[in-house]
Amino acid sequence: MAEKRPNRVLGPYHDDFWAYCREGELRLQKCGACGYISWPATDACFDCGARGDFSWEKFSGKGKIISWCTFEREYYRGVLPVPWDTILVKLNEGPIFLSNPKGFAYKDIEADMPVKLAFIDCEDNAGQFKLPVFERA
Amino acid sequence: MTDDLRELSGRVSIVGVGDTDYSADWRASRANDPEWTGRDSNGLALLAFERALKDGGLTRKDIDGLAFAVGPTPTETMVDVLGIKPAYVEKGWLYSMMRNAVHAIDEGKANTVALVYGYAQKSMGVEYGGTDIQQGTLSYYYYHPWGWSSQAAHWAMTFQYYSKKYGYTEKDLAAVPVQIRKHAMLNENAVMRTPLTVDDYLASRYIVRPLHVFDLCLVNDGGVCLILRKTNQSRDMPHAPVKIAGWGEYHGRKDKWQNMVEQSLQPYLKISGGQAFSMAAMTHRDIQHLQPYDHGSFIVPLQIEGFGFAKPGEGLAFCQDGRIGLGGELPVNTSGGMLSESYMQGWNQMAEAVRQLRHEAGARQVEGIETSMFCFCSSTGADTFIYQRG
Repeated sequence: MAEKRPNRVLGPYHDDFWAYCREGELRLQKCGACGYISWPATDACFDCGARGDFSWEKFSGKGKIISWCTFEREYYRGVLPVPWDTILVKLNEGPIFLSNPKGFAYKDIEADMPVKLAFIDCEDNAGQFKLPVFERA
Repeated sequence: MTDDLRELSGRVSIVGVGDTDYSADWRASRANDPEWTGRDSNGLALLAFERALKDGGLTRKDIDGLAFAVGPTPTETMVDVLGIKPAYVEKGWLYSMMRNAVHAIDEGKANTVALVYGYAQKSMGVEYGGTDIQQGTLSYYYYHPWGWSSQAAHWAMTFQYYSKKYGYTEKDLAAVPVQIRKHAMLNENAVMRTPLTVDDYLASRYIVRPLHVFDLCLVNDGGVCLILRKTNQSRDMPHAPVKIAGWGEYHGRKDKWQNMVEQSLQPYLKISGGQAFSMAAMTHRDIQHLQPYDHGSFIVPLQIEGFGFAKPGEGLAFCQDGRIGLGGELPVNTSGGMLSESYMQGWNQMAEAVRQLRHEAGARQVEGIETSMFCFCSSTGADTFIYQRG
């Protein structure tokens, strides 16, 4: 049963990211000009500004939680319940990825807790998709 | 820092200031007073403009430059609303507009420029988080599928990281909104004037845990106007001119996590603050009053660190025990900031800097000060200004 989620941003580059997720892979854009990893998906490198020159680098999905916060106010009323947990994961390769915890909650989290990538079945107005989240490593 | 900027230091001054009735408007709107119709963004801008004219002893004919940020209002409408015929006009963002206005005045494109802001954001039901936000700053809308949104969430993530790294608690953070509320209680035009204690704070609801409701700014209606002209033409005016002594600007990458969370905004603040100190030929030791952006309480200690008033990790310790209060080492947001006075996206904080440097801040006056520093600090950058009594 797919979880209902607020809508993704879709379009060029964004669609590539979600297509890799559907295959169970976390891939982010690596700039062909300077090597910088940009995330969220973009048409221009966040560091050097080069346009359209990217490869999609595959990530191990291993990392640690560097920060976390929990929504008590219902910003997504009718779609998501509160309290709603979010985590900030520093991937072993360096980039920082915002996500949700799977199988644990706010009270279980400690700084630098190791986590690993998982995908859950979700659905938004554009259809079904696989969402990258993190579980205890 | 170019020599040209160094030469611009102090050449232009703020000679008029006006704002709207934040507190009365807030109370009337909450009370559903049938007599109170409120003003739209244009009306708020007009009221602030007329008050700034009067304050500066000026008339509409004196205003030959306009820089404004009033919602979607087009230039033709704005000049009609204000009743002026400016030769120099800019519509945009306060902080670049203030720098540009100084250049324009120096280059003779305008003699007297009104910077005007008006925003009926409360009446318009503006939200700073949730699914309705689909554009603007990337981080406000991109993470919707993970249920992450809002200005509050930025500072919740940033504070969580910092508190674990340096060993702070929510009670430590409470010192910031509690102190700023004490200042607001001395300002009759502040929206929030009821006493706030650390216990009240700890008992209050979370918005985005670990941040409480008191860690986040108001959303209210209002307008502000600042009038600028050459300092050497500002001597025979009703108030002491307030010189624009220095500024700095730095904006980072769109993927802000590293700078915002891991580095506590320090790279932005050090560069932006450093430019302003250099232009003004000052250091942090010369600054007697600080108006740090406070749409979230936690960026107050980060700005205190970034400008060198405290060492890395010691900014929140600096905020304890009244050190940022009136009579403390570095009085901060003396009118109540955006947490308790009015959320005017920094414009009210600039107005307070002017009043303090004129020595007209009444019960909340920091005695005898000559310098004040303001920073518009966001998750992506920092625009800093240093002001000096002329």
